[in-house]
Amino acid sequence: MKTTPLRFVGAAAALVLLAACSNSPGTTSGGNSPSANDKLTIGVSFDQLNEIRQAELDGIKAAAKEKGDTVVFVSADQDAQKQSTQIQDLIETKKVDAVIAIAWNMDQINSSIALAKAKNVPFIAMDRAPADQVNIAYQITGDPVADGKLAAQQMLDSGKDLKVLHLLGALTDQNAVGRRDGFIEALKGQSKVQIVAEVPTEWDPVKALNGVSNALQKDPGINAIFAPSDYLLPSVESALKSAGREANVGDAAHVFLVTIDGDPNGCKAMAAKSIDADIATDIATFGAQAVKAAHTAVAGGTVDPKIVQLAGLPLTQANFADTKAKIWGCPK
Amino acid sequence: MKTLGKVLGRQPLILAIVPLFVVFSVIQPNMATAANMLNIGIQSSVLVIAATGMTFVILTAGIDLSVGAMLFLGAAVMTTGLVNGPPAVSYLLVVLLFALVGAFNGVAIAKIGIPAMIVTLATLQIFRGAGGHITQQRSIAIAPTLRWAGTGDLLGVPAPIVIALLVMLAGHLVLMRTVFGRYVQALGSSDSAAQNAGLPRTAILVGVYALEGLLVGVAAIVQIGRIGATQPTVGNGFELTVITAVVLGGTSLFGGRGTIIGSALGAVTLGLLENGLVLTGASPYSFDLVRGIVLLAALLASEQPQRVFARFRTHPPQAPEVPASPHISTVALPHP
Repeated sequence: MKTTPLRFVGAAAALVLLAACSNSPGTTSGGNSPSANDKLTIGVSFDQLNEIRQAELDGIKAAAKEKGDTVVFVSADQDAQKQSTQIQDLIETKKVDAVIAIAWNMDQINSSIALAKAKNVPFIAMDRAPADQVNIAYQITGDPVADGKLAAQQMLDSGKDLKVLHLLGALTDQNAVGRRDGFIEALKGQSKVQIVAEVPTEWDPVKALNGVSNALQKDPGINAIFAPSDYLLPSVESALKSAGREANVGDAAHVFLVTIDGDPNGCKAMAAKSIDADIATDIATFGAQAVKAAHTAVAGGTVDPKIVQLAGLPLTQANFADTKAKIWGCPK
Repeated sequence: MKTLGKVLGRQPLILAIVPLFVVFSVIQPNMATAANMLNIGIQSSVLVIAATGMTFVILTAGIDLSVGAMLFLGAAVMTTGLVNGPPAVSYLLVVLLFALVGAFNGVAIAKIGIPAMIVTLATLQIFRGAGGHITQQRSIAIAPTLRWAGTGDLLGVPAPIVIALLVMLAGHLVLMRTVFGRYVQALGSSDSAAQNAGLPRTAILVGVYALEGLLVGVAAIVQIGRIGATQPTVGNGFELTVITAVVLGGTSLFGGRGTIIGSALGAVTLGLLENGLVLTGASPYSFDLVRGIVLLAALLASEQPQRVFARFRTHPPQAPEVPASPHISTVALPHP
């Protein structure tokens, strides 16, 4: 009985050692004068893992594989402190040649950027723009404000009188805030399309489900919904079904639905004609450009342009058949 | 009048729920419709089910921080086809699996002697990690046949409400009418006194955490049936919401005192608040602020003020003497 805690400690230590061994990085770039063709060890730090992050990671891995690079991946599980420690480990222990990071906190990531700068490791920001825009080597993100505007444009282009339920993502997330701002700005002064309810979801599917149900209860006249991410789509569809409001595009009872991301949920819903439009993010370009920038920066070059914002591609029922092949979430 | 006083004495949270409902109904007439009542019932159901289990845990002066992660793991198991078969068989397998998962927490707490908070903090990571591994953190739709618990109905009453009512009733009977329920209260009132009296401490704790695991399994079945898909953030922060519902319902965090009905009312209060905020058109930026103020007001309205303040003065509290409740004095304790 007395040996039980010791056994636990022993087993835990063995597991940690095994995990550490399996994570050993590959060979870093050799030689004294690095070139853009060197094989690199790239540290990739994500804020969290979900459908879109998996696709972003796949994009980085595919681009790295083409160049013969090694990818060391860590996820911070929505914890800024954890991300800071992980990036420190990548730079100081794993000795990576470059870091590609999606920041959880735009300000706290600055200390990691400063460390990378001090150690001469290029820092590439992806998907989220950190507060420090000076010491990064490259940044590639979506354009959330433009995406929000494009989503609103789909509603305006319908020519219908729409009473819109506007779902909000986490209000601490710059993508959610940008999409919200773009959507609201594009509808300012428009009389045919009006926002009649706003519901915060904090990217929580249960809050989205309950929020949509409650809003439909409050105002049965709602005939359009803007969901700022495909992530919320299953919740929106469930709420519509529960309220007896589920109807496909073309049906008179259809609730006009626009989302953003172009993930597998969105593609499936587009194919099933349950949503009208999806503003697809160009995930594949993110990874390819980030890895390319890492090579340029490690070789001592300057990446130009340093800051890139990619607006999404509007996927509509009219262009779906021709465009779906370009969308990361649609089956190839 | 005497009966009403008795009811309010037992469940003072009603004093907070009724004014809250009236205020929301005055601002938004749609609030008081039958359809919206059902809406609130459906939205509170998962919380009622999980809060029933958590009440048993907190009554033993324990805590379980892993319920949100367990809910996510349950959703992962349901959507990835790990549990396959006709809906009834799948539901039963998930519930039994999670009784075992809960029992694992109980064994670690009772046998190894690690504090419940530490054990469940560790298992929170294990369960969320396991769920993430199973789903690869992707969004996965549930088979339509498994959605009945979330979207179906029984004689016109939505299934989540039926399930929550059954769980609440069964939990109430187990707590108030069985020896196990009395042991739970006795253990929470005074661990050492209960042990001296020869109560099977390990069996009680393992039973309590297994029961909670089982109920989180039920909650997962209902929740994932409602949403229709597993998402990586399912269950995030759910443990705090469940604990809030239980404490709001009058269960003491120090154990020994609390009721299942109180916890269910706590869960309904939270559901009512969320529903009312949307229906009254409150600014999305003020939700957290309003939520916090109303919860504090509800707590103060439902608690005797002197008890609230006494609790702040005596931290950590003295464990109450056994027997702390009239039920415990009637327990036929086994001979040591």
